[in-house]
Amino acid sequence: MKKILLAALLSIASLYGADHIIDQKGKTFIPHEVTVKVGDTLTFLNSDPFAHNAYTDDEANEFDIGMQPPGTKKTVTIKSVGKFDVECAIHPNMLLEVTVTK
Amino acid sequence: MKFSLTVLLFASLAFAQDNSAHNGMMQIGKKIYEKTCISCHGVDGETASQMELVVKPRQLNKSILSEKQMFYIVKFGAHTYGAHADIMPTFKYVYDDTQIASVVHYVSQKFNKNRDQRVAQLLSDSRELSLKEKEDMLQVGKKIFHKKCGMCHGDRGNGESQYVEQSKADENFIYPYNLQKILLSEDQIFLFAKYGGHFWGTAKNDMPSWKRKYDDVKLKSTAHYIYQKIKKPL
Repeated sequence: MKKILLAALLSIASLYGADHIIDQKGKTFIPHEVTVKVGDTLTFLNSDPFAHNAYTDDEANEFDIGMQPPGTKKTVTIKSVGKFDVECAIHPNMLLEVTVTK
Repeated sequence: MKFSLTVLLFASLAFAQDNSAHNGMMQIGKKIYEKTCISCHGVDGETASQMELVVKPRQLNKSILSEKQMFYIVKFGAHTYGAHADIMPTFKYVYDDTQIASVVHYVSQKFNKNRDQRVAQLLSDSRELSLKEKEDMLQVGKKIFHKKCGMCHGDRGNGESQYVEQSKADENFIYPYNLQKILLSEDQIFLFAKYGGHFWGTAKNDMPSWKRKYDDVKLKSTAHYIYQKIKKPL
């Protein structure tokens, strides 16, 4: 019975994918590179006292989370395999490299 | 009006190349600098380390401003030219035009004598635009302005934006300039955007450098758009 329950929980978890926390602190993405799978999520925290705006121009995984106030979090789901950069629209020296596998 | 008031004064500044006028202005300027400016800008034109100010005073030895532009900033205060109110104050009630011209001349000669050469060199190192690129400047610049600059400076460039609203609770927040009121020339806007404010003596968290993100053509186009369409005539 326990084995069945565990298998059910694991299969439900695999449907949702893993969540990867990306902090924005000191005008830096922490970590600054991450490897994820299709279906995983990136959750952006803003630990700086000012706003950020994470986005990517990558066609397959395009997103723009918009202006993000301090102390908030926003989540995006990864859609396609590949490599792309995430930047902050306000702070051009912030860079996050994302590698997406199957 | 403000400009016409001081045309004569700057004729005398040009005249200051004459040694006696130059020496006189340097003497007056030094006295004023040491009495008034030194507490914020330091003995060598760099920020005085003991100052506990939210916005660090400009490092005058790195300034992009010409003597003439500095004169207006000192006389009317930086807020008149787009800065947030609590930065460089107005000195027109403290010193007359001759005194202000003298201290500006002193600062320029003493701390930032190579400014013209530095600015000219950076411009000369930048990429020259083709005829087609020149034709497209407003269009390209408009797109970048509203995509990037507007996020902080506001879509109208007046310094009011969602970014400001969401960030101003931070006591160390540096307000973006109201670009409608700035004194900078088109070339200066380009160099400021390319190298960032800190390169030109502003606080470290001020305007970032955009050279990693955009090439010279795009930054020159953006500067052109700001100068032509956002900045109001003085």
